[in-house]
Amino acid sequence: MLLSSTVDSTSTHTMDKSITLPPDEIFRNLENAKRFAIDIGGSLTKLAYYSTVQHKVAKVRSFDVLFVSVSQEAASDKLYEISVQEEVTARLHFIKFENAYIETCLDFIKDHLVNTETKVIKATGGGAHKFKELIERKLGLKVDKEDEMTCLIKGCNFVLRNIPHEAFVYAKHADSEFRFQTTHPDIFPYLLVNIGSGVSIVKVESEDKFERIGGSSIGGGTFWGLGALLTKTKRFDELLQLASKGQHTSVDMLVKDIYGGSYGSLGLTGDLIASSFGKSATADKEFSKEDMAKSLLHMISNDIGQLACLYAKLHNLSRVYFGGFFIRGHPVTMHTITYSINFFTKGEVQALFLRHEGYLGAIGAFLKGAEEDNPNQYSWGENYAGSSGLMSVSPDMNPMQRARSGTFDMLEMDRLERQLVNLPLLQDPSSYIPDTVDLTEDALAREYWLYCFEEALDGVVKRAVASQPDIPEATERAEKFRQKYRHKLQTLRHQPL
Amino acid sequence: MAECVRVDSSTSTHTMDKSITLPPDEIFRNLENAKRFAIDIGGSLTKLAYYSTVQHKVAKVRSFEHNTKEAASDKLYEISVQEEVTARLHFIKFENAYIETCLDFIKDHLVNTETKVIKATGGGAHKFKELIERKLGLKVDKEDEMTCLIKGCNFVLRNIPHEAFVYAKHADSEFRFQTTHPDIFPYLLVNIGSGVSIVKVESEDKFERIGGSSIGGGTFWGLGALLTKTKRFDELLQLASKGQHTSVDMLVKDIYGGSYGSLGLTGDLIASSFGKSATADKEFSKEDMAKSLLHMISNDIGQLACLYAKLHNLSRVYFGGFFIRGHPVTMHTITYSINFFTKGEVQALFLRHEGYLGAIGAFLKGAEEDNPNQYSWGENYAGSSGLMSVSPDMNPMQRARSGTFDMLEMDRLERQLVNLPLLQDPSSYIPDTVDLTEDALAREYWLYCFEEALDGVVKRAVASQPDIPEATERAEKFRQKYRHKLQTLRHQPFAYGSLTVRSLLDTREHCLNEFNFPDPYSKIKQRENDVALKYYQKAVKSLEELSWEQRQFALVRGVLAGNLTPSVPCEQRPWLVDSYDQWLERLKGPPHKCALFFVDNSGVDIILGVMPFVRELLSRGTEVVLASNSGPALNDVTNGELQILTERIAAMDPVIQAGLREDRLTLVQSGSSSPCLDLSRLDKVLAMVVRERQTDLVIIEGMGRAIHTNYYAMLSCESLKMAVIKNSWLADRLGGKLFSVVFKYEVPAGKPSQDSAALTPS
Repeated sequence: MLLSSTVDSTSTHTMDKSITLPPDEIFRNLENAKRFAIDIGGSLTKLAYYSTVQHKVAKVRSFDVLFVSVSQEAASDKLYEISVQEEVTARLHFIKFENAYIETCLDFIKDHLVNTETKVIKATGGGAHKFKELIERKLGLKVDKEDEMTCLIKGCNFVLRNIPHEAFVYAKHADSEFRFQTTHPDIFPYLLVNIGSGVSIVKVESEDKFERIGGSSIGGGTFWGLGALLTKTKRFDELLQLASKGQHTSVDMLVKDIYGGSYGSLGLTGDLIASSFGKSATADKEFSKEDMAKSLLHMISNDIGQLACLYAKLHNLSRVYFGGFFIRGHPVTMHTITYSINFFTKGEVQALFLRHEGYLGAIGAFLKGAEEDNPNQYSWGENYAGSSGLMSVSPDMNPMQRARSGTFDMLEMDRLERQLVNLPLLQDPSSYIPDTVDLTEDALAREYWLYCFEEALDGVVKRAVASQPDIPEATERAEKFRQKYRHKLQTLRHQPL
Repeated sequence: MAECVRVDSSTSTHTMDKSITLPPDEIFRNLENAKRFAIDIGGSLTKLAYYSTVQHKVAKVRSFEHNTKEAASDKLYEISVQEEVTARLHFIKFENAYIETCLDFIKDHLVNTETKVIKATGGGAHKFKELIERKLGLKVDKEDEMTCLIKGCNFVLRNIPHEAFVYAKHADSEFRFQTTHPDIFPYLLVNIGSGVSIVKVESEDKFERIGGSSIGGGTFWGLGALLTKTKRFDELLQLASKGQHTSVDMLVKDIYGGSYGSLGLTGDLIASSFGKSATADKEFSKEDMAKSLLHMISNDIGQLACLYAKLHNLSRVYFGGFFIRGHPVTMHTITYSINFFTKGEVQALFLRHEGYLGAIGAFLKGAEEDNPNQYSWGENYAGSSGLMSVSPDMNPMQRARSGTFDMLEMDRLERQLVNLPLLQDPSSYIPDTVDLTEDALAREYWLYCFEEALDGVVKRAVASQPDIPEATERAEKFRQKYRHKLQTLRHQPFAYGSLTVRSLLDTREHCLNEFNFPDPYSKIKQRENDVALKYYQKAVKSLEELSWEQRQFALVRGVLAGNLTPSVPCEQRPWLVDSYDQWLERLKGPPHKCALFFVDNSGVDIILGVMPFVRELLSRGTEVVLASNSGPALNDVTNGELQILTERIAAMDPVIQAGLREDRLTLVQSGSSSPCLDLSRLDKVLAMVVRERQTDLVIIEGMGRAIHTNYYAMLSCESLKMAVIKNSWLADRLGGKLFSVVFKYEVPAGKPSQDSAALTPS
């Protein structure tokens, strides 16, 4: 099943709901926002809008040779003229926040929306229905519902095509947990396994052609629901935390529990789970919450892993992306799913995850609404300055970062002026990696270069100020730049991904 | 996972008195001569297998020596009852709680065995090893569990005709039995024990575990116990059967308010198992949670099975293991799941003797030197409990009677049985005309008939042994046993596979044999043969006086009349089914190369009906193969009797004599001891002769062989089915009346013959 959006799970209890939104940081460029889309899940809302941004760009112009005799001033010893001009570029903004903030956010948008001719907001996700009336009242826009799966796939295609290091492999015990994949020029076909309440397994063959080839009712909702019944723990995150501390072997019946060791003739090792929860069938004892949660997590992850492998084999697909709230930002589930896929395919298929998986629905809904602008005709680039990084809101990771940005997570994408393609002379475009050293995988190199860039920051700030000698507030802006870039460097030190 | 045996769970260990006295007549039969043992010990059930020999009384006929004066009585041949030893496999299933009592019992009754070893398999084999060795003095020799399971599965699929069935909860008959395919490989076996093992079986010795899952019976049991505090597997299933999964599961419509059309998902589909318990702040009932759990596990296994079947291109998927065994609830959910995922392309198949597979396999491993796979085996209905005899849900009466002992006995057949090579499509051939499991009205009628006829059968059995005083007592025992079988079948028509007139007749024969009435009709047959033989020459002479065309008709009428009691006149043409004109036209053409003739009754039928017909065929230049029963059944002529009769006729008839001498008339046995005829289980020699002689005509006569069975059988050569319907109910069914005649001459489509119009009843 699809339904990722109905049960998005981050906490709605811990946050103060009447926050003041910092206009500099979120909902940027709202004034010129043209087109909206919204994806409302069970607990998270993802808003997308298209806006134009005024940029200062430096232009160079050759002096006119004909003028040389006429104007003496022009006949300096300079080769060409530099001027700073204003240019307007298109940018896509995506913001993710908890449903609890939805009213505040809608008010904020209403207040800041200056000149828009938009009449409609595209909506998707299970919550779209629930909040329809609120959105229409607050924004004065008509809510136009879009098919959830279509949006998901559209969004997925978009990020795979436009964001170079979108997909990654998760390897818990490796030096770098995240191994990013280079973008294939041809992203199709692929398998998308969306683990929401249930599981939907979708084969995507082209931009417009996809099919739900399978699914399972054993998904995130099952982990949550059974987990809640077994452990009396009602929160999804807490269940995952319990699971990460438990020992499944005390609840599961292993091959060695039955045969005293491995079952060699069938190729089954002793540590393999023969029966999930098999020990609780007959043992007259209490099991710890942690152990039961762990066993449940293994059971569900292994099952989904096996189903994904079988569908991948049956349809001859080697790229399998996993998404949905069960996966989203949870290293525990990424690990168990990866483990399961490795086990069942003996390494033939890799479990791939997406950095912007949470935005797929919103991106897709936006694209549906923007079809007249042909967004797929352009190339888009992630704007690192305006985008939060992977896992910025994951509770396990980096609490400092989480405290700072509240629970807002952002992605901004700039429309590039020119469509970008492969150099036709590349020997093998699919294996081409531009970068010589991958700092994510090389801790020593990473340390060195982060240090270098921090050291060089002062010099860069000075140069920036010096480049605009006539503008008094240049120093102030340069200081802001210093803070932002230093912060990014700090973030990267903690989360090289 | 393979561990079906570890957690056998279905029968209760709490309700039974563990110090029972075992009834030696009924269980552990023939232990005295038991030769070879195997045991499969599961989590709660033990399955014991042994091979033994059984002494049977058989009726033999012997021609009187011509040169001895005394022999010149008026009797044609001598009948003697002899002892014959046949091999039988016994399988008994009982609760582990009885294991010690059973081992003691075996020890006490084991008289002369040279066995030193007992083959053992199953998770419990380890636990009870010491006990078995101490009690029986046999060395326990462990065998691989999965190998045993597969071996056992191959064996039952090959040897038990209605072994596999489809389960359909809401159909008129819950169990739809499958006909045996001549080629059982390849297939997928999904064994649902604690976990799930998915095994691809490609040949007798080649199998591979291609997949599995940890979400199996143990998960249902374990999670169920945690959720409902109900510790017993059976009780969990009972809870589940009463629950509503929709209160716990999140359905598609719970999310989208209806179906999700663009993805083809209906609103009632389960979107997320236990999805509602994630957020709802309420208590869920035990029943509802158990039901949701059952659906979750069954659907998951169903989907995995389908995917593996597709991936490996397998269309036959058998399910077994304690999760399935005898539980209509799980058979239903698994079937539902398979139908859902394959849209009907793959059928979920279950096995009647699934619980015995491990024991059978272990036994076969130990018996390899005896080449058990070289023989054909037949289920002995008299000694076998039916399907579900110990299922707690079903038939409490039956359960009380048999305790918790369930039995299977298989007789080694003297001859290896194969398909008739002339079957048009062996894999779709179904011998029986009416499946009484699926036809409630027909079932009622026939069960009533057989019960009504029981007194007569008992009388005849007693009369057949006038000199033996205790015959009455044995006949009474026979009456009780057969009546009980009929009662069981009334409640559980599926107990022995598809219920058919044939299986009712065969069960009666097995029960008669069981109580040493090997051939109650022997004397009657002898008398009738005697009388008929006296008229043979006269009959032949009067036939020869007729014109060719008159004679052909008279020959047919002769065969039909032999099928009748003399007082009843033969129905006037047109008959109920009448393709006589086509047959006559065909006879005007070139002679057949060879005719295979399945004969029916003794007396007038064989001597004055069949033999003149055979004589005419021989005269036309057609070779004839006469196929008769290997063993006695009702008043059917047996191969032994027919040999003597043919010799006698040859002595008075030069045509028959020449036929025998020139080897143009051959007598073979069918391999059967049934009044009906299963063309897929015939003596290997018969099949060989049929092939060698390039048989191009098959003649089947009599109600048992041509109406109850084979009425719709399609052959690859010309065929002639002749019978008089001597049962008004059946006549009515076929649109005729009592004593209607069926004369069905058929030419297979695409075989240009003189006149290839084949008639079917209008």
